[in-house]
Amino acid sequence: MTRQEIEREVKDVFQREFEIENPDMDADLRETYEFDSIDAIELLLAIETFLGTEITQEEKKQAIHIRTITQICDYIEKIAKKRNLFSPA
Amino acid sequence: MERRVVITGSSAITPIGHGKDQIVKSLQNGISGIKTLREEEFLSRYIHSKVYGTVDYPVEYDFKRNHRKTMGPVAYYACQVAKEVLEQSGLTEEFITSGRLGVAFGSIHGSPTVQRNIYRIFFGADDKIAVKEIGAVDYLKSMVHTTAVNITKMFGITGRVISSGTACTTSSQSIGYGYESVKFGMQDAMLCGGADEYDTTTVAVFDNLLACSTAFNAEPNKTPRPFDKDRDGLVVGEGAGAVMLEEYEFAKKRGANILGEVIGFACNNNGGDMILPNLTGITNTLKLGLENARINPQGVDLISAHATATKMGDIIEAQAINAVFGSTPHVIGLKSYTGHTMAACGAIETIMALYMMQDDFIAPTLNLEEVDERCAMIRHVQKVLQQPVKTAAIQNFAFGGVNTILIIRKFS
Repeated sequence: MTRQEIEREVKDVFQREFEIENPDMDADLRETYEFDSIDAIELLLAIETFLGTEITQEEKKQAIHIRTITQICDYIEKIAKKRNLFSPA
Repeated sequence: MERRVVITGSSAITPIGHGKDQIVKSLQNGISGIKTLREEEFLSRYIHSKVYGTVDYPVEYDFKRNHRKTMGPVAYYACQVAKEVLEQSGLTEEFITSGRLGVAFGSIHGSPTVQRNIYRIFFGADDKIAVKEIGAVDYLKSMVHTTAVNITKMFGITGRVISSGTACTTSSQSIGYGYESVKFGMQDAMLCGGADEYDTTTVAVFDNLLACSTAFNAEPNKTPRPFDKDRDGLVVGEGAGAVMLEEYEFAKKRGANILGEVIGFACNNNGGDMILPNLTGITNTLKLGLENARINPQGVDLISAHATATKMGDIIEAQAINAVFGSTPHVIGLKSYTGHTMAACGAIETIMALYMMQDDFIAPTLNLEEVDERCAMIRHVQKVLQQPVKTAAIQNFAFGGVNTILIIRKFS
């Protein structure tokens, strides 16, 4: 998967699961979209489905500090690379 | 310090309508909300009772996603009536979020629809898959206080939360404990009520206890038949009811429209059997209610009986009413219109009594064609009476031996 595919999927998830269309990639999710801890858990489940792989408890804990969609995409990219699922182009 | 407690908002979603106009129209025209039990894949085909008090009309909701995500069907009902009561009360956002307003709201067991999905996942897959499939919000949607805290979340209410889950006395306790909270100065206002969603597991429970009506499956609107000689059991129903209780001086000062006054409440337990109605326990409840309201039995002119239309329950209740009130007050069984709306029944029946006070009429007990001679010692109402109601008692009894009485009065 490419960075472009990751970004497209995350935007799809935001529209489908959280009814947020065309989100600002760098906006603070909590302040701008009232995104909360419950949404974060649902998002992690959606990411697991998208990647087709389980995210470990340690990796999930690293997601606590995420604030923006760009950071979410970085997070997914990092996990995908670790599992050899990522292709740069 | 004891303060007067008045009602400044009320709303109900019931099998006979949503809001005062529809409900009063049904009460005055003998319209039943009992329909055929909906077919579903789980239990309905095995249940002998094929009738249900159904909300079969659309209710329009406009809740935002960040609220909807923690709401099961029961919380939709609860938040809708809460929203309407808050709007009707005219309380400001500043007050609502100040901590001076609390919530007393419950359901019999959260959201059975959500719980059913959880069990389906648990029993339909291996544990490793099941643990992943349980949603992060499933507990929040299904927990027993889901109605109360979805209301506090939606409207930013920061006062106390009371969430009774005492089956059929859930919302009469909500109003009673809300009344005490305001009366004794713990809160200046309490939003009180109860709700329950469409659920066949509750029907199955009563069906197995042989307590459900089965003889009128072909003519649902002929049952339940409180106090009638042909009654054959209760009919489960769905719905929600909410009232705003407020300290009188505060309500008066802000120019609130006062709909009625709560003047008494009592709750006790039979201290024994969890299912069988208990004459001593119920009689004591009614006496305690009058004592709490500081009125004598002649001061009550309308009794909304619990009257589920079970064989024994109605007889014991009639005996208790006769022992405490004699045969003077009019007695009605409002479940004849709605079925037994479980956690919502106390609030819905209180609201219906309030509507009768406001519009000067008494709705008859539906399907009461021939009074069972064992229930004949009280003053039944078999046709609409156009007359004022000054003071009404609302009686509710629950599995577990819990009994409640609320006493409300026309405001003057």
